[in-house]
Amino acid sequence: MIWYVLFFIVPIAFIVVYSFGAKDSSQRIPVDLSSPSFHNYGEAFSKTFFTTFTATIKIAVVATVLTVVIGFPVAYFLAFKVQEKWRAVLLALIIVPSFTSFLIRTLAWRIPLAPNGTLSTWLQDWGVISGPISVLETRTAVQIAIVYNYLGFMILPLFVALDRIEGVLREASKDLGAGRIATFMRVTLPLGGPGIAAGVLLTFIPMCGDYVTATVLGGAKGNMIGALIDSQFKGAQNWPLGSAIAVLMIGAVLAVLAVGALVVFGTQAVLRRRRRVDIGLVGVSS
Amino acid sequence: MSAKQEPVRILAPHSFRDVLSRRALLQIGAGSVGLTALLAACGSDSKSSSGSTAETAGSTATSGSTASSTGGSAAAGSILGDYSTVVNKSSGTLAMYTWGDYNDPSIVGDLADNELGITMKVDYYASNEDLITKLSTANGNSGFDVVVPTGPYIPQMIAKGLLQKFDKSKLANIVNVDTPYLGQDWDPTNEYSVCKDWGSTGWMWDTTKIKGDIASWKDFITAATGEASGNVSVLDTAVNLLGMYCWANGLDWNTEDSAELDAAEKFLVDEFAANIKAFDSYPSTKIAEGAYTLSMAWNGDARQAFSRIADAGGNPDDWKWALGSPDTELWMDNYCIPAGAPNPDAAHAWINWLLTPQISVKDLQYHGYNSGMKNMPALIAELAPDLTLGDMIFFSDEQVKSMHTQKITSAQDRIADIYNKVKAKAGG
Repeated sequence: MIWYVLFFIVPIAFIVVYSFGAKDSSQRIPVDLSSPSFHNYGEAFSKTFFTTFTATIKIAVVATVLTVVIGFPVAYFLAFKVQEKWRAVLLALIIVPSFTSFLIRTLAWRIPLAPNGTLSTWLQDWGVISGPISVLETRTAVQIAIVYNYLGFMILPLFVALDRIEGVLREASKDLGAGRIATFMRVTLPLGGPGIAAGVLLTFIPMCGDYVTATVLGGAKGNMIGALIDSQFKGAQNWPLGSAIAVLMIGAVLAVLAVGALVVFGTQAVLRRRRRVDIGLVGVSS
Repeated sequence: MSAKQEPVRILAPHSFRDVLSRRALLQIGAGSVGLTALLAACGSDSKSSSGSTAETAGSTATSGSTASSTGGSAAAGSILGDYSTVVNKSSGTLAMYTWGDYNDPSIVGDLADNELGITMKVDYYASNEDLITKLSTANGNSGFDVVVPTGPYIPQMIAKGLLQKFDKSKLANIVNVDTPYLGQDWDPTNEYSVCKDWGSTGWMWDTTKIKGDIASWKDFITAATGEASGNVSVLDTAVNLLGMYCWANGLDWNTEDSAELDAAEKFLVDEFAANIKAFDSYPSTKIAEGAYTLSMAWNGDARQAFSRIADAGGNPDDWKWALGSPDTELWMDNYCIPAGAPNPDAAHAWINWLLTPQISVKDLQYHGYNSGMKNMPALIAELAPDLTLGDMIFFSDEQVKSMHTQKITSAQDRIADIYNKVKAKAGG
């Protein structure tokens, strides 16, 4: 608890306090708190900064969806289709890359994506593409690398959730006449739901704050909010504005998650109600 | 005649070309010209070297024009004898916070270990603001022993108590620095800082992608918003972007005039930002990757780009470098010791070692910036006769006249604001 207060609440509180101050670069901590105001929030909402803001959320949402779409089949395959003896090997193959530094893995993308790189030259020689690959320093590069960087964090919770589903449940579903698709939709997917939720939490939040991927691959176009906050603190020494953007970002992430949670719980509630009705009818008829 | 041209390229920086040819005619006449003699003659332009000049000139006047390196080594004792070469041993770890790729790897590695007994640890920053933020927030506990701020930022660092005074008794080799580079406005008695090197700003471009010459900042903007749009990198510092605008429009880049700054903001944010591919203080590596077709760059990094393009299998001849024109920047970076440095003894020993001519020139060959040693032309002739692209390191008097040092003014915050808007806009 003390740990929590000291290393989480206090720093965040400072950020919130700073966000109402004004910049004063003559001080060591360049914040003047003598006349607190909402000025920084106004500026953070101005069009110039807001575009980066929306771009970040967009990158994170698209990347989260992509990690689910790519990660779910992988986790499904691992949990249900792979023989026991291979499962550990495959899981290791998914985890091992994350033993390498995040930064190195991101930097490594520069090699295949480089316009003058070997891959680019080969593809051109084979006539696959007409000009050099021109993905580096764009939002696409950030999007690709961010999906790659966080995919593991999606697969693991999904796998854990799917692995916990007892085989008998799926068998029972088939015994009761459900086909493959119905079993998946009505047994596997709902039971895997918590895994999806955990995966989304584990990927979406860090993606929003991701600073490395955008800095290394994004150039000017792939700028994300993390890099913008960094440049406010370090480059411009405008801590108040940086703090205000950070606070807004925290708010935005919470808002997106809240909306997401509402949608999920809402659909679950609807589904559950319908199911209950079904079972009730079965009970009555028999 | 090629034989005549070659020694000039190799030995003397292009900055001395005009002087060379004039003096060659005046003093010796065309024909059997001892190259080092010429260099030494030019060297006498710099204030502190008249003594050695005569000796060098005497000892090398007989050497042939292409055998300059031999001529140089013959005079070795006499030139190097003019320099202080005190080396203090030290021990422990030395942590330096500096600009990217700014020292010869052996000088921050094995060589420092072997010659001084110091283990180096180096970390990099991209702008002076980064450095200042790091030091001020650490409040004396940053753990760094040596930092390398640009001159105009030094007074505010002193005022904030971020730097400590040198122990001059441990910096005997400071006498090797040429007088024009000592006692700058920001630190008139070199109490806190000593010149590491100085340089300027220009650009390089891919001539296969951009037709036509880029001779001035105006041309730079035209190309950046035209042919090179979307493939342009600019230095990741606020002042350099403002400098581009000001010099293209004949303004002083230290302007505090709010109307001029408003106009600069309008242009940079609304018209220029969208063309920028990246804010990159060290574009050389990515130029080699093929990421840019036009890059604003500091001269030393641009010089490295040519070898990196070749290393990456590209053709360096496709690329051209130009110094900013009609006006451009003059910056000087300085070795300083931050307050609270854990190992100031090693810091002094290492800085002092960097001020010996051999190490200074070795370092210069790597980073490509003028390290400000006295009697530089003779020193280069002697220690680095095969230095390549010397014209990107040493500038002519005329070029130096077009360079302006940044001043920290009341507009500093405004400039930072403009820059951040440009950054945000470039991403949108």
